[in-house]
Amino acid sequence: MALVASLAVLGLAAVAVVLGNLLFPGATQVDIMNTVLPPGSSGHLLGTDQLGRDVLAISVAGAASTLLGPAVVAVGSMAVGTFFGLLAGARGGRADFLISRLTDLLLALPVVLLAVVVSGLFGASYWWSVALLVVLLCPYDIRIVRSGAIEQVHKPYVEAARLLHLSSWRVMYRHLLVNLWPLERTNLLLNYANAIIAMSALSFLGVGVQQGTANWGRQLVDGEQILFQNPMASVAPAVLIVVVACAVNLLGDSINGDERRLGAR
Amino acid sequence: MSVALGRAAETPVTVVAAVRAEGISVHGPAGEIVRRVSFSVEVGRTLGIVGESGSGKSLTARAICGLLPPGLRAGGAVCFGDALVTLPGTAREWQAQRGAAVALVPQDPFTSLSPAHRCGEQVAWSLRRRLDGGPQPPGRARRPGLSDQVNGYLAEVNLPPDVARRYPGELSGGMRQRVAVAAALAAGPLLMIADEPTTALDASTRRDLLELLARLQRQHGMALVLISHDVALVRGVADDVIVMYAGRVVEKGPARQVLDRPSHPYTLALKVSEPPVGRRLERLIALPGRVPPPGQRPPGCVFAERCQLAQAECSVREPELAPVVGGAEVACLVSKGSLELPELREAIALPLPGTGVPAALEARDLFKSFGSHLVLKGVSLEVRRGGCTGLVGGSGSGKTTLARCVAGLEQPDRGVISFGGQPVTRRSAGQVQLVFQDPYSALNPKMRVGAALAEAARACSSDRPSSPAELLDLVGLPAAFARKYPRDLSGGERQRVAIARSLAPAPELLICDEPVSALDVSVQAQVLNLLTDLRERLGLSVLFISHDLAVVRQVSDVVYVLHHGQVVESGPTADVLRSPSADYTCRLLAAVSPREAGH
Repeated sequence: MALVASLAVLGLAAVAVVLGNLLFPGATQVDIMNTVLPPGSSGHLLGTDQLGRDVLAISVAGAASTLLGPAVVAVGSMAVGTFFGLLAGARGGRADFLISRLTDLLLALPVVLLAVVVSGLFGASYWWSVALLVVLLCPYDIRIVRSGAIEQVHKPYVEAARLLHLSSWRVMYRHLLVNLWPLERTNLLLNYANAIIAMSALSFLGVGVQQGTANWGRQLVDGEQILFQNPMASVAPAVLIVVVACAVNLLGDSINGDERRLGAR
Repeated sequence: MSVALGRAAETPVTVVAAVRAEGISVHGPAGEIVRRVSFSVEVGRTLGIVGESGSGKSLTARAICGLLPPGLRAGGAVCFGDALVTLPGTAREWQAQRGAAVALVPQDPFTSLSPAHRCGEQVAWSLRRRLDGGPQPPGRARRPGLSDQVNGYLAEVNLPPDVARRYPGELSGGMRQRVAVAAALAAGPLLMIADEPTTALDASTRRDLLELLARLQRQHGMALVLISHDVALVRGVADDVIVMYAGRVVEKGPARQVLDRPSHPYTLALKVSEPPVGRRLERLIALPGRVPPPGQRPPGCVFAERCQLAQAECSVREPELAPVVGGAEVACLVSKGSLELPELREAIALPLPGTGVPAALEARDLFKSFGSHLVLKGVSLEVRRGGCTGLVGGSGSGKTTLARCVAGLEQPDRGVISFGGQPVTRRSAGQVQLVFQDPYSALNPKMRVGAALAEAARACSSDRPSSPAELLDLVGLPAAFARKYPRDLSGGERQRVAIARSLAPAPELLICDEPVSALDVSVQAQVLNLLTDLRERLGLSVLFISHDLAVVRQVSDVVYVLHHGQVVESGPTADVLRSPSADYTCRLLAAVSPREAGH
């Protein structure tokens, strides 16, 4: 049930990401004749914002910028985390020490402050904030993959692979990684939900996307000023963020539950 | 007849059925797991439940304590004295019965006690519950005289009073298990159930615990249910026995009758697949196949497909328990009484192989410590070319560390390891391979059997590495197994695959680290026979590590006894086991000797 619901939500979101611009070609066009119409106005189901843009149209068009960046964040941070986490966990010794200390250092950095500083230095750019979030999230992935690898690395099947004198890359990727995959998959989905919220938060602070861009986080900020004239201008994107983030989490949970049930057999 | 009457009697002579279980069944998601098991235990008597893993013996016991894991459903009824519980029973009903009526001593003393509470407190919980006549949250309220009583119970299980102030983590496995027995005893139960109480213990402490249980049962006038896969162990303690296979009772009756002169072919197979410690057999008698899992059990007799006596009728009609000559009840369509024991042929003593050529393995003065703990204290050992050397020792003796040093998984602090007369620095896959104890974690769960074997064969230095099909054939498995994942295999099949993998690089030395201790006896016999065959066919040199003297007796020419990181005795296996000179060897032998009486 939860699986079906979350897949349906994510399917709709994917359609909006791919076809958003085709469905509502002029979504971001300013129309000063129709600024701040309340919900239910003719032709504007959810009303318009202070630039006269239809809230429904801009919310659909904003799916791409809201959802693609976090996907890149989640995948990127997992890739970095897998590489360094496996290296630290499987090799141990000096590599582990170095990677673990760098991870601690990254974890100590204040996220929001760093985001503001980076956007001050490089300008408020979408892809800069994506890169920044990869750097900020990867320490968690490194730690998770590392502890998973440490748990596996002393199991007899890994030691048997070492006795066959397989290359350490083969041991890491052919033997360890496949067994860490359930852990990584769950974490990937959790990270995605977190990244959606983090990106929206950065946009809310004005350091994620440019003003006027179709983006749910950005819409939240802009809608705040007209909260009483058209509440839907900020409620719609807020609901969308919550629903998509929940769907991703639910998907992760139900896949995990199935896996556990299979494993119990 | 009342409960109080039965328990007041010092030496109960009257027959008081303490517990009667009627038609116990357990259903799980895959189908029926236990089918209509009935038995009764009288006060002052011991019932043994014997069976291999998958027989449903533990679930039967848990069902009559109301402690089934979630997802399983019990049926049937249990009478504790004159109180009847219809299974599964409500939480309130069980609350009234647990402790006073029934107490459980679980298998694993390492997880059954709370690590965060002192042992005395844990004994006091069940004592306080009994004194207050109802369930109590584990509190700290002082009761005068309580600690004296706790010490009394600890003394009864031969533990000194200072154990009360210690945490389980500070005690050895044997001591922890005795704390668990004391806690069960303090509840004053009518029936005590001990589920494989000695499996996690060393051979030398097993016997002590069994004698303790037998004594407590007599002194307290309890009924005792002892669950075990070890036929010899149950035979030594139980008055009556039921033998379970695939969730059904196949034979029940007086222990001596059932276990000395079995009437069911399965009981016979269990009995004869136990290796004797006194002599080396040419071949152990192994039971082919595996226990059918719930949901895949055949119609008719569940044992038919593994049974030598099976007839056409057996796969159609399900046998019911029926009395046979000799006082036992047997569920078999063919057997009419005690079956004839098959003839066991003794192996011919061969001259020790490999004289005159350099030893396959020579380890000299190995030292190894972990932190401040010295595990190996100057161990020297030799495996002759084409020979099998046994290495025996209890847990903590350093035998696994020695194996890992030889295999190159650990570096010894000091000492020399030579293969074929050459000291080794770097090893290759073709020099030494290891068969691990636990077949469940020895195979990569995400890799098909064929892929794992092919990968291992590529490590072979010869021009034509063996194919997965050839390797599977070598260990007696069909080539179709290559497509399976480890989770589709039974324990014995997994261990065969692990052996095939270790043979793939054609190693000169094979180390087997407790290769059968995680397996059932019938499967153990299969694997031991396989190892003997492989040695003959491939001329392997083997270092065989085990805690079980009888197993070592069957496979090795030479034996080393390791105790606290030192070799205390070594020599030809037959000589060492016939006339041991070291104290420790005598203790190990004494612990297994009851098994001999069965043969």
